[in-house]
Amino acid sequence: MNDSENSSPLNAALEGRSRRSSLIAGAVGVVVALFFVVLVVSSPEDRETAASPLLGNPAPVVRSTTLENEQFELSRRRGSWVMFNFFNSTCVPCRQEHPELVAFHEAQASVATPTELYSIINDDSDNAVRAFFEANQGGWSKVRDDDGSIAVAFGVAKVPETWIIDPNGFVRMRFIGAVTKDLLTEKLTELQTAFEGM
Amino acid sequence: MSSSEGKPMSSRLKSWPMWMFMAIVTVCLLAVGAGREGGPLTQQERIDVITKRLACPTCDGESVFVSQASAAVNIKNEVARQVASGQRDDEEIIAYIEERFGGRVLLVPRTTGFDSLVWVLPVSVLVCSVAGLAAAFRRWQREQGLVPSDDDRAMVARLLAEEPQDHDEVPR
Repeated sequence: MNDSENSSPLNAALEGRSRRSSLIAGAVGVVVALFFVVLVVSSPEDRETAASPLLGNPAPVVRSTTLENEQFELSRRRGSWVMFNFFNSTCVPCRQEHPELVAFHEAQASVATPTELYSIINDDSDNAVRAFFEANQGGWSKVRDDDGSIAVAFGVAKVPETWIIDPNGFVRMRFIGAVTKDLLTEKLTELQTAFEGM
Repeated sequence: MSSSEGKPMSSRLKSWPMWMFMAIVTVCLLAVGAGREGGPLTQQERIDVITKRLACPTCDGESVFVSQASAAVNIKNEVARQVASGQRDDEEIIAYIEERFGGRVLLVPRTTGFDSLVWVLPVSVLVCSVAGLAAAFRRWQREQGLVPSDDDRAMVARLLAEEPQDHDEVPR
């Protein structure tokens, strides 16, 4: 094959097409690689389990009644540390964490400014909750949430969840899943120390 | 009577001005239809529209509208309450739920931030594909019209001249 054949327009066109194909393949490869990097680097939302836009902000308005048919209004609890535990008597993790809550509540009785603990009844009947507490102790108030408005206001999708609200009515901590007495005591102490230093 | 009036209908339809006119009319009708405001929705219709746009936070791929999970029912009740109060529009109610449960509760992705890629990418791919196809078609057309160079002609002539000799050499 001589030089004139090598430089024919057909060969030039074929070479040009091959170059373009390589460029396109390279560009597609770069885009796929970028997507892969984004996938690896980005953290799924589920990992940020305790994150909530409510943290550091005023707690939502909570108005309801307790199982003893007394009015409950969160805004009237100002001046006290308040703990909400979203609860359902048929939920296994809720049942498992219950002894820890009982222990925490008993321990709070001996401190100068005890934290007020409330169970927020999530998708459960009054009778089932009463029966559960009679069998498993727990002398704190149980607040009805029949229409689920309290759960939605706090963004609670699954129980158990525990929230801490400071004496000024600001949401300070959220625990997703079962808690222990030690964990609650430790975090509460940290929050109270920080609050007193404010 | 003009010459065009004498043509059969099929012939006239094939002419490009007619197609262009039809395309413009179609686009105008689609634009008017898409931009037209519907009548006022009832409260239940609003609740249905909103809950169809929200994902049940404890289910896989189910909307709040269809799900019977506790969390979905709670959200449905909250939407119904806010619609009944009349103080928030649909977008504000969805924003309220999203603020509580996070972006995962949106069935229709946002048009801002990283989520906007969901909307932008398909359009970009479509535009790039159409542009690529157009470029390829143009190139193929150009290649079909390639004129052989003097070297090409010389090569063909030489090969043609050599052809009879080759045939003679074929053993009988």
